[in-house]
Amino acid sequence: MQLFLQALITGIMMGGIYALVALGWTLIYKCSGVLNLAMGELTLIGAYICLTLYLWGVPFLLALLLTVIIGFILGLITERLFLDKLIGEPVLTVIMVTVGLSFFFRGIIAFIFGTDTVIFDPPVFPMKPIEVGGIIVGQVYIWSFIAAIVLLLVFMAFFQYTRWGLSMQATADDEMAALSLGVSARFVYAIAWGIAFVSAGVGGALLSNINGLNISVGYLGLLVLPAVVLGGLNSVPGAIVGGIIIGVLQNLSGTYLDRFFPGGVKEIAPFIFMVVILFYKPFGLWGWERIERV
Amino acid sequence: MSYLPCGVYHEVYRQDHAFWQTKFVIWKMILLGVFIFFVIPYFGGLYAISVTNLIFYTIMGALGVQLLIGYCGQVTLGHAAFLAVGAYTSTLLMLQWNVPYLASMLCAGLLAGLWGILFGLPSAKVKGFYLIMTSLAAQFVTVEFILTQYVSQIGGRGQAFSLPPGTITIGPMVIDTDTKVYYLGAILTIVLTMGLANLLRSKVGRAWVAIRDNDIAAETMGINIVTYKLMAYFVAGFIGGVAGAFWVSNLAALSPEHFQWFWSLWLVGVILIGGVGSLYGTIFGALFMVLILEALKFIIIPLTPLYPAIGMKMMSLKDAVFGLAIVVFLIYEPNGLAYRWWQTKNYFNLWPFSY
Repeated sequence: MQLFLQALITGIMMGGIYALVALGWTLIYKCSGVLNLAMGELTLIGAYICLTLYLWGVPFLLALLLTVIIGFILGLITERLFLDKLIGEPVLTVIMVTVGLSFFFRGIIAFIFGTDTVIFDPPVFPMKPIEVGGIIVGQVYIWSFIAAIVLLLVFMAFFQYTRWGLSMQATADDEMAALSLGVSARFVYAIAWGIAFVSAGVGGALLSNINGLNISVGYLGLLVLPAVVLGGLNSVPGAIVGGIIIGVLQNLSGTYLDRFFPGGVKEIAPFIFMVVILFYKPFGLWGWERIERV
Repeated sequence: MSYLPCGVYHEVYRQDHAFWQTKFVIWKMILLGVFIFFVIPYFGGLYAISVTNLIFYTIMGALGVQLLIGYCGQVTLGHAAFLAVGAYTSTLLMLQWNVPYLASMLCAGLLAGLWGILFGLPSAKVKGFYLIMTSLAAQFVTVEFILTQYVSQIGGRGQAFSLPPGTITIGPMVIDTDTKVYYLGAILTIVLTMGLANLLRSKVGRAWVAIRDNDIAAETMGINIVTYKLMAYFVAGFIGGVAGAFWVSNLAALSPEHFQWFWSLWLVGVILIGGVGSLYGTIFGALFMVLILEALKFIIIPLTPLYPAIGMKMMSLKDAVFGLAIVVFLIYEPNGLAYRWWQTKNYFNLWPFSY
């Protein structure tokens, strides 16, 4: 039982970070219909910016804030340079452009920062774990989770109450109607990419606090896919719930199934789970249901 | 299809159905054959031969991707899984049970084809982005999990199966030099490409193209979509398996490292740059991608004295160039190299009356 609770809690904590990255993914899809496979590299970019600033002596919170700003600007630039030219192209083209971008970013990152693991030094969060009722949770996890939740709330508020957020909602709902009401779709796409960079970057920075940062942190970007498929591609609450469920599932399968299938079950479980979801509920928990039997 | 040369007309149906329709094409193909079988091996040198081996492997791997994406409309980002299944089947059969190489290659193709059917099953129910996700699952489940964790344990050889010289034999001949691998690769590539080209001209191929263009319309015309999709997966898997088994002959040791997700994406990149929906595109794409990376090496080697770390960072630079090439091609040349080839060919075919 204690083992179960331990895995559950750790899973929820990790899931918070996944949810943050999944949110960025969903936003891009909802607003511009782009299925972004470069999410992992966006987390890498953010994480490396934050880490470099931190190693230069910038306090962590300020470094995170700067990461947000730089990430946002990078997002705008990426959208303008590459994605803007692809509006109206077939889905495969756009997906493959994001794949190409992911290689491009990854190559550039590896070229600049190398492939060795780097850590936040000195550690941002105290190393001493907290023990509640026999369950041990590292402080890193707790703070990361809190940061993820705060950011999620900020994003939610942004969508509900600000002018930019509302215009994004409008574009996602009906692009034509939004255009006729004077919402600039190009502006909204740019903002969506900016926010995706931000959420992925912060997720990456938090995650690299836990295990250190190297190029394989970009794997997070692939884990996001099961999360968004589970939640429904175009549903923001779905992305959050999906992220947390995938985090929990990953930890539970790592705890219980590792005995039977030694090795990488923890990394594979989300993908197997995803295939099962696709068979029975291809539109996820709250996605748009467009039934088309083929 | 390109146009017939100016002034050439078919008079009987047999001409219309011919694989190579004019004398000129036949001579061109003979010339190409001479080039492949005599010019490169005798005058190319070992370096050219080893690069060409890589090109053959890329062409064979990309043929399956071209079939799935370009002719049947089933996007796959996990084709390296089928290559891996083929390579491992062939290696295990040779090492564990001493099966002859060519027989093991056939078994590799069949098993990879069945593996393709298994992971093609979701295509009966989902399509588009969701199908891409299942192909991703195919990649990770096959290579990162089953092969790395379980298959690699068979025979207690450790993570990599080493292939001692003399393992790979065809009859009495031992395939041990690059030149022999080259001939094998050339024959396999030609057989597979022509086989696929002929299959695409048949009823099956037309059904695939119909499914690609509009699946619902195809179904109303009486095409059993699920059967034909699975058939496409089988053929793609078969070609992939044979390609994987071929690549074994070029390796000293086989490990899952050779079939990472990067390689799946690489194959998709090859057909995107070459041109989707064209067998020429597969070949041009493979040539372009392999040669551009070799050229990159030649640019980097002189730079090494100036900036020593650059040799180490070659791999990451390679990734970046590959990514940028895909992006630039998709934005500025979405029809790929094959389209330019088609235009050039038609210009000469229609000359002097281009309208």
